[in-house]
This record gives sequence, C-alpha cells and structure tokens, in this order.
Amino acid sequence: MTTLPPLSIEVTPTLIVSTALATRDFQDVHHDRDAAVARGSKDIFLNILTTTGLVQRYVTDWAGPSAVVRSISLRLGVPCYAGETLTFTGRVVSESVIEVVGTNSLGAHVTAEVTLA
Amino acid sequence: MSRILEETDRLKALGWCGERVARDPVNQPMINNWVEAMGDTHPAYREGLAPPAMVQVWTMRGLHPAPQPDDPLHAMSAVLDEAGFTSVVATNCEQTYHRALKVGELLTVRSRLSDVVGPKKTSLGVGWFVTTESTWFSGEEPVATMLFRILKYQPRPQAAAASPITPVVSRDTAFFWEGTAAGQLRIQRCEACGRLRHPPGPMCPACGATSMGFVVSEGAGTVYSYVVHHHPPVPGKRLPFVVALVELPEGVRVLGEFLGESVEIGRPVRCTFVRVGGFHLPAWEAAA
Amino acid sequence: MSAAIVGIGATEFSKDSGRSELQLAAEAVRAALADAGLSPSDVDGLVTFAMDANAEIAVAREVGIPSLTFFSRIAYGGGAACATVQQAAMAVATGAAEVVVCYRALNERSGHRFGQVSVAAATAPTSSGVDNGWHYPMGLGTPAATVAMAARRYMHEFGATSADFGRVAVADRRHAATNPNAWFYGRPITLDDHQASRWIAEPLRLLDCCQESDGAVAIVVTSLERARDLAQRPAVVRAAAQGSGPDQYVMTSYYRDDLTGLPEMGVVGRQLWRQAGMGPSDVDVAVLYDHFTPYVLMQLEELGFCERGAAKDFIADGAIELGGRLPVNPHGGQLGEAYIHGMNGIAEAVRQVRGTAVNQVAGAAHVLVTAGTGVPTSGLILAPG
Repeated sequence: MTTLPPLSIEVTPTLIVSTALATRDFQDVHHDRDAAVARGSKDIFLNILTTTGLVQRYVTDWAGPSAVVRSISLRLGVPCYAGETLTFTGRVVSESVIEVVGTNSLGAHVTAEVTLA
Repeated sequence: MSRILEETDRLKALGWCGERVARDPVNQPMINNWVEAMGDTHPAYREGLAPPAMVQVWTMRGLHPAPQPDDPLHAMSAVLDEAGFTSVVATNCEQTYHRALKVGELLTVRSRLSDVVGPKKTSLGVGWFVTTESTWFSGEEPVATMLFRILKYQPRPQAAAASPITPVVSRDTAFFWEGTAAGQLRIQRCEACGRLRHPPGPMCPACGATSMGFVVSEGAGTVYSYVVHHHPPVPGKRLPFVVALVELPEGVRVLGEFLGESVEIGRPVRCTFVRVGGFHLPAWEAAA
Repeated sequence: MSAAIVGIGATEFSKDSGRSELQLAAEAVRAALADAGLSPSDVDGLVTFAMDANAEIAVAREVGIPSLTFFSRIAYGGGAACATVQQAAMAVATGAAEVVVCYRALNERSGHRFGQVSVAAATAPTSSGVDNGWHYPMGLGTPAATVAMAARRYMHEFGATSADFGRVAVADRRHAATNPNAWFYGRPITLDDHQASRWIAEPLRLLDCCQESDGAVAIVVTSLERARDLAQRPAVVRAAAQGSGPDQYVMTSYYRDDLTGLPEMGVVGRQLWRQAGMGPSDVDVAVLYDHFTPYVLMQLEELGFCERGAAKDFIADGAIELGGRLPVNPHGGQLGEAYIHGMNGIAEAVRQVRGTAVNQVAGAAHVLVTAGTGVPTSGLILAPG
C-alpha cells in the first residue's frame, strides 16, 4: 500500500492567526488567547477552513500540480492548539482516494478522505 | 424536545434559503494571502486559479456579520441553545468541488437544513447533530457543495477530558528536561568516573560521586524492544500507538513513543521531541 | 523457620462485591480465624500490602482484635504477597507477635482498576513518581504494556511465540474450569481461543492478562509449636524470601543488561532453595504469579525449572497442567480463579499441603508460591507439618 511521506507543521500562534485571517474567520477563539481560555479552551486553536486547506496542501504537495482535487471530507477530532505539532500521514486507499490523518499530542485532530479527479 | 422537532420541520420545509453574495469576486490578492498563510506553493494558485478548499472563504460573513435570520444553522442553534444544548463542536465537513474557480467570478451561497438527529449520548455529553448543506453558485451554475455537521450538546458537569501525563521532575532530573526543551537528548555523565547513565540519578552507582554532568547524545539508536498499545485508552494518545525502548551507541536505553510507520527490533531510529503539556518528550522516528 | 500457616479464609471472588473493601477484609480475616480455630482475641499481629486501602487498626476494630503488638506493610504491589507471610513468620520467630494475620482486600474490578493508566502513580512527588516520568508520559502506563516490552524482547531472543504464552492461559483456565470458587469455573479455553483474542498491548492478547476481581484473602500464621494444637494440619513455612535485583524499577526494569529474565525472582529462588535445603526438582506443585503469561515462562527459567529460553519447550507437552511434570496453579491462578494480588495463590498452596484442594495433586510435599513479577517480589515453600 502506498503511503505519503509524513508532514509535520508547527502550529504557532502566528500560523493560527494568519490562517484565520486569510480564511476570513474572525471568531475570537482563533486569535484572542484570553477569549479562548475564557470559553474553556487551553489556547487559541486552528479553524476548520485552515484544517481543510492544510489537508488539501498535504495531498497536492505529494500528488503534484497536475492533480485536481474533487472533494475533501473531514471528520474532526481533538482541537489543535497553539504550540502543538500537527503531523499528517496519508495512504492511498484506491486509485483516486487518499486517506489523511492529522495528529497532535492530544490525538487525532482530523481524519480526512481526499478524492482526486 | 417537541420544540426542537417542530423547528426542525419548519426549517427543513423552507428548503434552500439564507442566500449570501460574496463581498469580493475571486481575486488574486486574497488567494495570495491564503497560500502564504497555508504555506501552499502550488504554482496554479499564482496564476489566477483559486485553491478549491478556499471556496467557503469567498462567502464568509466577515468581521462585522450582518444578522441573517433565515440562515438555517443559525436558527436551529438558537432553539437548541434555549433547550440547554449550549455547547458546540463541529464534527464533519465534506466539500465537493465541481470545477476550479478563476479570478473574477462572483460567488453566491445558499444553505438548507438537511437533518437534525438526537438526543444522542456522546463522549462530550448528550446532544443533537445538526447537518446543513450549502451550494455555491457562479451566476446560475453550481460550482461547489458542502455538507457541514455540528454537535450541539449539554456539557457534562465533569467532562474532565483526561489531560496528558507529564513527568515528575526532581533536582536530579531537571537537566534532562531542560535539554529536551532545547532540542537536546542529554545523558547523565559522572564527573568523577565518566560513567554514562539513563535514567539519571543523584549518585553514581559505580563510584559514589555526586557531581553530575551530561553529554548530548547524537540521538541515533536502534529499537531494543517495543509495545503496540491497543487498550485501554491513554490520556493524550490515539490508539493504537507504539512505544519503543531504544538502545543508543552511548550504552544507555531511552524510552519514547515511536512515530514512524513500521517498527521492529533492530530498526535504526533517531530522536525527536514532542511537546506535551509544556514538556518536550523524547520520541523516535525511523532513521533514513 | 519455625512458623506455619494454620488458617486460610476468603470472600467469594466476583466482579462487583457490593460492599466496602474494609468489610471484605474483615470477612476474610474472620473466616481465616474460624478455619484455624482461633478467635479475634488471639490475634496480636496484622500484615498487609502497602497498596491495601484498609488500615490495620481499622481491620482490628471491625474484627474485634483488642490490641496489636506488630503491624507491618510490604511495598511493590503484588510483589508483597509472599512477603506478608515472611513478615508474619519473622514476627512469630522473634516473639514480636504470636498470631499474625496477613490480609489483602480489594474491589479491583468495581472500584480502582489497576489495568487503567494511573495518573496518581505517574504524578507522585516521590522517587517512584520520578521513575514513572520516564515511561508514563511516553504512553507506557499500564501493567500489560510494561510487561509487553519485556515479552517482545524475550520473543526476539528465544523465538518464543504468542502461542507459547497462550499455553499458560490454557493451563490456568483448564484448572479453573473444575474449581467452583473460580470466576472461570466451567469455562476452559483452547489455544485457538487465545490466539483469536484481541490485542491489549502487543505482543499481549486479552487472554494473556489476568482478571480484574473483587475479593479478599486472609492467612493466619503462628509458631509451629502452637500450630500443632490447632484445628488444621499446619502448612509449615519451609522457606520465605524477598528479592530485588540490579537496577530495579517497578515494572520497568528496562535499563539492565538483559530484559529477558527476572533477576529479582532469582534472588528469591536462591534463598528459597537454600533455606529449604532442596531444589526445583523437589517441587511437587508450583503456584506461580500469573498476572501476565510471559512472566510465568520467565519464572520457570529464573527459578531453575528449565534453562533460559527453554520454558516454551518445557511447557509444550502440558508439563504445567494437572498430571504434568510440574502442575502449576491447580486453582486456576489469577487468570482463572481470581486476581487477589497473589494471596489466593498462597491459600491454594495451603490447601495442596493439607490435601484438601479441589484439584489436589497427590502427595504434594513441597509447594512453591511466588509473588508479583516485574516488581521487587517474594516467595514461599510450604510443606505439610
């Protein structure tokens, strides 16, 4: 079975804030640590649009620029807080389907299926 | 509960609603911001093609969102809030892209409530799964769809999610954890007789000296033994996971999670560090 | 040694006792005294495990023991089992006490389960807490996982397989199947059942792991002289020993030269043979601590029943089953009868010596008992008085 080379991303506060803004997601839990803590979170955390974007990047980095992404299906798990290392692993489950798992120290942050055309 | 079901029926009957037009057409500066933040170097995104996963970005409601009473997710959430299901967590997001989007296209999104299921017992507490569908249009042409599911739940009084375990540090072992924080795998060395030792302690078992230093290991070793842990759950770990006992050429063994794919005794590994609760724990990955 | 076990008592073994651990302790102590033909006022010593949740004075209060001249606790989990009897025998020998009751009571299934990750153990502000800091945070935090690490290395060095471990479970469950007090009474397993059971911590499967049980066992020790006047045939303590080995840790002695032995059990074994003036070939029945099957194989080697690495061959033809060369755990052990931290094994050894066991080995003259493995441990040799 083909596996994708793992990719580890340091989830810095800068990454969380810059991606939140670039995805036009202004919810305070993605940029204001005090607000995030007040709402019961440990720290600011990645938004879903970014998780989707990173999953897409992980697969297209491997598949090359000619690949066309048809769909991305995410199951969301534990949050990805600032300070975590998010490690993506992937395997090819059929001709056009790649299963991707993104884990951090708390467990699985995302389990995804990406379909290429 | 009947109120939740009534509102579900009402909102489902409305069908597609909550139309929203993108603030800006698909444009290169916003794509540039996005790829810069994501670290995505795909060449097509520099030349007028939008990343597929960016579709939702175009129709985000922005910094000062206008009230949108006919948005089905918003309306359903309000009813569940009233019923005490005040917490929310997203569980699923499935996006399908019919075609690539190009700079200049102006998108519109419409949504509908597709399902409300509950009450369900979950690990977080009792709650309702709310599923909505969205379709993006360029003109009249549908270009992408999304299924989005959230869990609206009543938090359990003691939903004490097990936090990961961190090491107890003593005066004798602090140097080790200071080392891992600096990206070093430190092995205790007796200043008197030079003996290396791990795990470290306050007195050299060979010569009795209490003056301790350390050497920094190259961090390259081989798997001496390992465990694949399946049960029971371990705080902070996703099952199954592998823990390896690694023998270093310095003559000591160090234990850590094995992060690679296939493990076997004798396999060359190198040290890395994983951050857990303010500590940097030694871990192992397969050496090339 | 001039001490003997004169009484044994136990509660039923279950998954939910429905009563406090203190009540279980008190019931077992009373049962053991009744078995011995003694009354609470005869008792002047109590010994238990450091892990036991019932204070000696609380047990004394409930049972109606008026005063104590000796009380003591042994550390290191199940490694304490046989050492409680050693403590009692030493107390009797020195005159510190005349009648000492050893007890262990636990709601290990319905209450605090040892098989789960113990955050308390991992965060204790003690040298043991610091020791655990090299393992628990990395995810090695259950007894099964700690044993699995040694078992994997053992398989690698000696070519043992999961099926070899499984033969221990099959023997235990065969014995439990004919023991009405065993949880798995009437429920033997095959090697195929073992091989089909799910992974817990590879290379350990579910059926390599002992049960989790609620229950209590108590053992009455007094001088051999006094024993001769009591109700039961005395089980003489021919040898009793504790042991810890080089670079010893609790369940994680991973930094020694060799991971495939149990040197602390070797320390115990050498003392036992010397004290009793006998060797492995003189043992008629062995009650070997069996919280996890691989350590039964290692014990057979460490105690000298076979060469290093040869336990898989030693047991291959059913040697450890009833009727074999060395019947092991005729009561079903902790995999089959119950997990009372090794104390039910001592009670079985006493029954074998008395000739009253349900799966009696004919003419059992020397019965070996061992305590917890992977930890500082202890052992006994009992013989008919």
